[in-house]
Amino acid sequence: MSKVAELPLDDAGIGNISDYRSNSLWRLTLRRVLRQQSAIIGLILLGLLVFLAIAAPIIAPYDPDQVLIGVEDVKKRESPCIHILGCSTDKTQHLMGIDGNVRDEFSRVIYGTRVSLRVGFVTVSFAVLVGTLLGAISGFLGGWVDNIIMRILDVVLAFPFLLLAIAIVSVLGPGLTNAMLAIAIVSIPSYARVVRASVLSVREQDFVEASRALGASNWRILFGRILPNSLPPLIVTATLGIATAILDTAALSFIGLGAQPPTSEWGAMLASERNQVFSAPHLVFFPGLAIMLTVLAFNLLGDGLRDALDPRLVHGAKK
Amino acid sequence: MKKWYLFIVMLLLMGLVACGTGGGNNTTAEPVAEEPVAEEPVAEEPMEEEPMEEEMAFEPMVMAAENCDYGGLIKEIAALDELTVQFTMCAPDPAFPSKAAFTAFAIQPSEYLEATGGTGDLLEKPIGTGPYMVENWARGEEVVFKRYDGYWGDAAKTETLVFRWNSEAAARLLELQAGTVDGIDNPAPDDFATIEADSSLALINRPALNIFYVAMNNTYEPFTDEKVRQAIAMGIDRQRIVDNFYPAGSEVASHFTPCSIPNACVGDSWYEFDPEAARALLAEAGFPDGFSTEIAYRDVVRSYLPEPGVVAQDIQAQLKENLNIDAEIVVMESGAFLDASDSGDLPGLHLLGWGADYPDMTNFLDYHFGAGASKQFGDKFDDITAALTQGAALASDEARMPFYEEANNAIKQHVPMIPVAHGGSGVAYAAAVEGGHASPLGNEYFAVMNPGKDTFVWMQNAEPISLYCSDETDGESLRACEQVTEALLSYEIGGTAVQPALATSCDPNEDLTVWTCHLREGVTFHDGSKLDANDVVVSWGLQWDASHPLHIGNTGAFTYFSALWGGFLNAPEE
Repeated sequence: MSKVAELPLDDAGIGNISDYRSNSLWRLTLRRVLRQQSAIIGLILLGLLVFLAIAAPIIAPYDPDQVLIGVEDVKKRESPCIHILGCSTDKTQHLMGIDGNVRDEFSRVIYGTRVSLRVGFVTVSFAVLVGTLLGAISGFLGGWVDNIIMRILDVVLAFPFLLLAIAIVSVLGPGLTNAMLAIAIVSIPSYARVVRASVLSVREQDFVEASRALGASNWRILFGRILPNSLPPLIVTATLGIATAILDTAALSFIGLGAQPPTSEWGAMLASERNQVFSAPHLVFFPGLAIMLTVLAFNLLGDGLRDALDPRLVHGAKK
Repeated sequence: MKKWYLFIVMLLLMGLVACGTGGGNNTTAEPVAEEPVAEEPVAEEPMEEEPMEEEMAFEPMVMAAENCDYGGLIKEIAALDELTVQFTMCAPDPAFPSKAAFTAFAIQPSEYLEATGGTGDLLEKPIGTGPYMVENWARGEEVVFKRYDGYWGDAAKTETLVFRWNSEAAARLLELQAGTVDGIDNPAPDDFATIEADSSLALINRPALNIFYVAMNNTYEPFTDEKVRQAIAMGIDRQRIVDNFYPAGSEVASHFTPCSIPNACVGDSWYEFDPEAARALLAEAGFPDGFSTEIAYRDVVRSYLPEPGVVAQDIQAQLKENLNIDAEIVVMESGAFLDASDSGDLPGLHLLGWGADYPDMTNFLDYHFGAGASKQFGDKFDDITAALTQGAALASDEARMPFYEEANNAIKQHVPMIPVAHGGSGVAYAAAVEGGHASPLGNEYFAVMNPGKDTFVWMQNAEPISLYCSDETDGESLRACEQVTEALLSYEIGGTAVQPALATSCDPNEDLTVWTCHLREGVTFHDGSKLDANDVVVSWGLQWDASHPLHIGNTGAFTYFSALWGGFLNAPEE
């Protein structure tokens, strides 16, 4: 009906306004994030982890799966040998020691960064994508569609998170891909709920009403207007979700359902050496430390983002 | 009122039926194929006014096979009198004493076996003649044993024996160091030095009377091809595995059976590590670029495999490096893994081992490759089974030698598995424990140990599966049963020599086809009943006869009986 009226107004007016608002929101957010020390620490840690993951082949002195029997004069589970800390220069340097299968622990921990970051990003991306779609449709359409989607997600939410993931992996079979899929599936409801709540509040705002009055299609309103304005809480949830995903994948690997040998995944590395916690503590300490730092990085960043994106916490965040 | 009358009549009827069934049960334990051999003493003139003596009531039982066509070794088990039982064999059986001493053939009261129906209470509360009796089994926590004051031998040193378990070697050692347990099984190889350096602890090495092997099932591709199996045998550096992942006292296996057992190491030694020859052989078999397979194992520490996960990963790495074989590691639950292995359901490689039950070739070779063996390696090899059958029937080690040489060479040629290592292991005790020892058969005997207090606490790798060990095969169950039940013969404490137990002797006839065992007088079970020859006939007979109403047990497999005595009577057709 209003094809003629809609196009020029949209192109000339609302679109530009939306772009402008969006840009300023992100700039504002960045400024707020950079004002918080904890978020900056998180960002630096994350940057470091991403660098380690990308530069792993350069930084790691060995292939993570290379068995050093017959290659060097080392024994299984040898303690770290660091020259500047007094280890004899006759011996080859192994910053984090040697693991139970006579492999360089440092190289495995470095390569483990790749696995963990991939797990975090892929898992959360998948869960966010599906969760956003379900939450948006559910919140926007309402009625019986909303009821069906949300009740199904309620059922999923009713199960303990990790237990459901274990059940799914048990059905699919152990393996890193299946573990990631399982964790993604059980994370979907959290994102769907966040997006739905956001959509429900945003869809009542004036600019949405204006779009509707101008004759924009439901599809266009949902994905062009409502969703971009519902993103802030989703970003916070997703950032914190990456930490949870990494932790849960490590947990699944620890109980043998996630990464399989010889993959250098931190949880699996912890599991294979847990019996040697007294005789070779370095083999438990370093993968554990790596998990802790990675999760901490995402948690600090997530907290910072939440403070920055939540208008109610702006004053608090300045403290 | 009518209802009450009806109720009373029903009760009477049920009582009558129950009496009838009771009689029936007696007959089930009666001879299957033959009438009792001995005459009924009751038939004699009863003494005037005197109570009937128990001996007078003894009715000797006999169980017999019609002939030996069923394929097993036993022809007849007969009680000749109250204290004499006779085993008639289908073929000479020189290993009879060694086998009869094994825990799976322990004797329990026939009345108790019948009362439990061959399962139920029998699985948790065995009634034996041993120095300890089961007081309580809190599943998942501990088994508590109490000293049996009526024991025929030397009384147990402690009033109470407690069995606990933890699958983590580090946790076991921690408990020993903390003094909450008095002895632990299988400390981790890396902890040996720690224990030896600690004056409050004592480490006792257990002789390597075991074998760790990499099994292959010849009914699954590509292991159907003998060349593939031989290539894998040459492509794994076993020395590297033993040098890096086994404790001191371990050795690379030159043959399947440890060399301390007579005739174990006759014949050619195993293939040398030769990756080039292995690759050539694999290419000849049609796999120049390798193939994909699985390595299945259970994450359970055993003397023969002290670090299952690490060894599995090393074999995985070696297969990739030497033969370009991609092997996916599959960790399975222990029970499921053993079942899958026995029923031939593992399509790739799997890691398993065997600890000696008794020191004889039949315990190693016949159990794995003989006529009664499981489907673990797929189809049996006729030349191996034929050699083993002939070898087992001969008495002297010299006479058996050529057959075991033939069997060992055939095993090397067919490669049903790759023998890797005879693993040394250890047992650790608090230094204050007197009489601490390590049994090469894994059956430490706690009645002789004195920790200087009333209770001895033992911590092993895992919880017993059940305490009816006629139907169990895992070492954790067998060790617990050893404290409670006894067989006709036994193994010396901390050794392998066979010695008298419930029987003062088991004597063979000239051609070793008839073994007559004389029971010890005055032995009583934990329930106070007296040991007699019928208890032996029922304890053995219910295992032997697959159609026996008491042939139930825990799983009904009675694996040891089938493997060691050649098969079941009335076995259901497959």
